[in-house]
Amino acid sequence: MRVLALHPEKCTGCLRCELACSYMQTGEFKPAKSVIRVSPFEGHTSYSPYTCTQCAEGWCMTACPVGAITINAAGAKDVVDDRCVGCKLCTIACPYGTMFYDPDTRKAFKCDLCGGAPACADACPTAAITYEDTATTDWIGDFARERTARLLVVG
Amino acid sequence: MRHLIIGGGTAGINAIRTIREEERESSEITLVSAERPYSRMVLPYYLDRSIAESHVFTATAALLARWNVKTHVGRRAASLDTRGSVCTLDDGATIGYDDCLIATGSSAVRAPVPGADGPGVHSFWTLDEARGVIAQVRPGRHVAMIGAGFISFTILNSILALGAKLTIVEIAPRILPRMIDVTGAGIVEAWLQAHGVAIRAGAAVTKIEDAKSRTRLRFKSGPDIVCDVVVMATGIKTNLEWLKGAGVHVNRGVVVDERLRSIVPNVYAAGDVAEGRDLVTGQPTVHAIEPTAQEHGRVAGANMAGRDVTYRGSLLMNIVEVCHLDVASFGAWDDAKAETFTGLRAERPAYRKLLFTGDRLTGAMILGRSSDVWTTNDIGMLKGLVQSGVPLGSWKEYLRKNPFDVKPAFIASKTTAKLLPETVLGRPAKAPGDTPVAV
Repeated sequence: MRVLALHPEKCTGCLRCELACSYMQTGEFKPAKSVIRVSPFEGHTSYSPYTCTQCAEGWCMTACPVGAITINAAGAKDVVDDRCVGCKLCTIACPYGTMFYDPDTRKAFKCDLCGGAPACADACPTAAITYEDTATTDWIGDFARERTARLLVVG
Repeated sequence: MRHLIIGGGTAGINAIRTIREEERESSEITLVSAERPYSRMVLPYYLDRSIAESHVFTATAALLARWNVKTHVGRRAASLDTRGSVCTLDDGATIGYDDCLIATGSSAVRAPVPGADGPGVHSFWTLDEARGVIAQVRPGRHVAMIGAGFISFTILNSILALGAKLTIVEIAPRILPRMIDVTGAGIVEAWLQAHGVAIRAGAAVTKIEDAKSRTRLRFKSGPDIVCDVVVMATGIKTNLEWLKGAGVHVNRGVVVDERLRSIVPNVYAAGDVAEGRDLVTGQPTVHAIEPTAQEHGRVAGANMAGRDVTYRGSLLMNIVEVCHLDVASFGAWDDAKAETFTGLRAERPAYRKLLFTGDRLTGAMILGRSSDVWTTNDIGMLKGLVQSGVPLGSWKEYLRKNPFDVKPAFIASKTTAKLLPETVLGRPAKAPGDTPVAV
């Protein structure tokens, strides 16, 4: 399966991925509705994107009481809007924080890999986000650990 | 192999599905369910008409037929003979089994107040009860909800959306006593009052009586309330009575081991009726929440299908939204022995509570506007930190000072790496439509 591989050392924090994602997901440039989110590290000198890993359990999918989360053609866990009632169980079941709720549509939303052509990877100017046939992993944990070490010492 | 599933709620249906996913050769499955299988979670959305009634059903007759399940819908199990492996139904029919799952759930209980069983008083737990409330809640009507717990709060938005006037009555001095702490409750209370909801906390109802086609609530002290509809959500009880003499060990629920098995090896229990391991405390507990029922059902189903699946335990979690204010809690959020950090930004409002045992997060609470909390990854990350039990090391001190800045702690503690191998059944989950069809 192709997944979003994140290469934080290449991320400049330009936020184009968030704009592209929200545009694909909602038709508007609204980073608040983006399902890929860039975080600053080490006092805004390093950045990394963060998004759904498409985990094996699919905690969101198994939690949904009405079967509204399924696996799409790209292999992504995907919310079927017509089935979703907006109960938010998926948002507390997902242990990665990558399942969201939209108060405007009253539906849950998440990364669906844009059905197989992820806009964030297309938009990234530095290839910090690539769409690759590889196993999903903790792409940014080591990077974040290193880039926060000084912050923790200073406290 | 003959499997008997007693109860068609979340636990029972997940068990059936998992048996069909896991079994090597086709078995016989019989379902006994007092009601047509539906999801209790979505009834509030049926109440406010945002979905049709047909949307609430989880396993339709057609789907059960496709799964080749023999059904006794509309029947209740009356007794269980675990020595003879026979279940007797309320119509006298008997069903023999090789193994069975007790998943009879729980039901609403009303406070022991004179008049509580009167015609103007409703519970909101089953589909039938939901229909009763739906028929009564209309624009301009005054609804009094007795009990300010989770169930009341799940239907609060729906009642307001229907244009009814709402008063919440609670015997405890504050609302949501089993879901949030006093500070959180105070914020929610002020928020609700600002949205036109009246709250009478610390109020003991002494009598409910007819008042010329309306209903009057009398109190130990303070003025009466005259309203059009009373919804009583004063708690639930586990449906255990029918198991008297069954030979399973019953405490607060049917006591089960890490395979969801009772002390009788071919009898399993799952969901609200089962007392299983709590993930955080390790203690036996009855959660009576949907995610626990779902995981219980799947683990029991896998074991019934011949796999050997052990369960790490259930994580207590709840989320409720009132007038676009979200409140969620995870794990041991009420643990007096834990080291507790809080953060409050009253003007937003936003509130956090992080509970540590050593350097691990063992409980959490988060409260904030819907338009705030979903711009962060925090709700799920708090769940992930509690679920994974990842050691937070120096991040603990960071979170003491910065309880709102969960994300760097989650990422740099490599929580994702710890979580990725975790699955409930030791394999990737299947999509809802991908359950193999029985032959």
